[in-house]
Amino acid sequence: MLEFIIQNNIVCHAVEAMLFASVACAVLSVIITQVQISSIGFTMAHAAFAGAAVGMFLSLNPTVCSIVTGIGVAFLIGPLSDKARVSPDTALGLLFGICMAVAIFFIAYMQTLGQGFSAMGLLFGDVISLYREEVYLLAAICIVAIAVIVILYKEITAIIFDKRIAESVGVRVKPVYYAMLFVIALTVSFCLPIIGGLLLYVWLVTPAAVALQFCNRLSAMFVVAPIVAAVVSISGALVGLEYSLPVAPLTAVLFSVVFIVAVFLSPRRRVTFRKT
Amino acid sequence: MTSSDPVIRLENVYTAYEGADRPTLTDISLSIGKGEFVVIGGPNGAGKTTLLETINGMLPITHGRTIVCGQDVREDGVQVRCRVGYLLQNFAFDPLTPFTVEEVVLMGRFGMIGLFRKPRTEDYEAVARSLQLLGIEDLAARPIGQLSGGQQQKVLMAQNLARNPEVLLLDEPFSNLDMFAREEINRLLAILVRSGVTVLIVSHAFDDLPDGPVRVVVMQEGKIVASRECSPEEVEQVVRSAGKGASHA
Repeated sequence: MLEFIIQNNIVCHAVEAMLFASVACAVLSVIITQVQISSIGFTMAHAAFAGAAVGMFLSLNPTVCSIVTGIGVAFLIGPLSDKARVSPDTALGLLFGICMAVAIFFIAYMQTLGQGFSAMGLLFGDVISLYREEVYLLAAICIVAIAVIVILYKEITAIIFDKRIAESVGVRVKPVYYAMLFVIALTVSFCLPIIGGLLLYVWLVTPAAVALQFCNRLSAMFVVAPIVAAVVSISGALVGLEYSLPVAPLTAVLFSVVFIVAVFLSPRRRVTFRKT
Repeated sequence: MTSSDPVIRLENVYTAYEGADRPTLTDISLSIGKGEFVVIGGPNGAGKTTLLETINGMLPITHGRTIVCGQDVREDGVQVRCRVGYLLQNFAFDPLTPFTVEEVVLMGRFGMIGLFRKPRTEDYEAVARSLQLLGIEDLAARPIGQLSGGQQQKVLMAQNLARNPEVLLLDEPFSNLDMFAREEINRLLAILVRSGVTVLIVSHAFDDLPDGPVRVVVMQEGKIVASRECSPEEVEQVVRSAGKGASHA
């Protein structure tokens, strides 16, 4: 798609993959941070990571396995907290621990079997060996994430504002909420091999956190967050590939720097100072 | 539904919260007509808020039947909520909440508009009308998180009025309001009741209720212990005596 700008195929695919993955994660980051389900996103990312590791070990499709475990965990949180009589927060902590343990166990075991290289890609991401079809798939996921937000925008905004108020005005909160979780699980699973299970969370939170420093309106956040994510991710991919640095970790560091700078430049911060 | 049918009818209703081992509401039967002004009183934890949320179908009914505006709440909860306004008791919006007052009021019509549809001109007109009714049209473009508690309460009231409700359920609507705002809301409620809107209000402040006949429903330990019509001045007395009578029984 971007061959007319970037002649090198490897770099071109890497940039395209980072662009689509970052835009998909960034639009969802607005939902994750504003509905305050960061812990759910965090746990789903690690569940997808565990699913992919198990799938790789059993020679099953890692992406399908990560989708199944990602969605499975999202639906397990409620029943687990009810049955075990623990708060949803504790249930998430338990699930996160289990997912990490399963993922690390299988990755370590695969290393002893000599399959370590592909498994490490799950941890820190891999943008080098991408096929064109994989990039197309990421583009499709990006379109799906944006389409779901556009189609359910009204309902999503009401849920973001207040779930109980949304329910009281006649919004079908549960189906929309589960549709949101499904799209998050889907996106997480497809972005996992590019960004890596340990770093994915940065893409699912930081773009919205940066956008919030400058935006007073939700609609603006949905525009600013993906622009920030795209610029940072493309820069990370280009710099990383140029200087042979690990692309996803470098981009994650860039995101952190951008966030810190945004906090200092934020007009909202200045308003707070004036008030006090 | 004919004009003589009650707008709200509860028949032997039991409601329990998820995971609770006993129902919060026990054997509630109640019939409320069109344009009635009902005050629900009783001590904390008596089940007043639970009753409101049972009427609009936000809580599961474990036994019995609730019919609101001719629709069974258990089957058509979402449709009922599109016709019933509900002002929640507890709310506080973060100063960084990225919504303007106009956007929040428009949300009141989201259920009516339905899935996959966008708000139309008539929806924005309804928003403008209800902002005007509450006298907060000048706040339309302001972020809701930056308003005072009383102003936020008025915005949520406007959100409910934006869908022209047939029934209005108000949980402690005066809690954040100053005396001037209270008078304003009371005047508005009196107009709504005269135009045929049924109003149910949970309140501990009985001193300045709108003029006209008031039905008082007193609750204690999840049950209705009294239900009678009286004048606004008598409400406090009815709630006190019914509460005492029930605790002595």
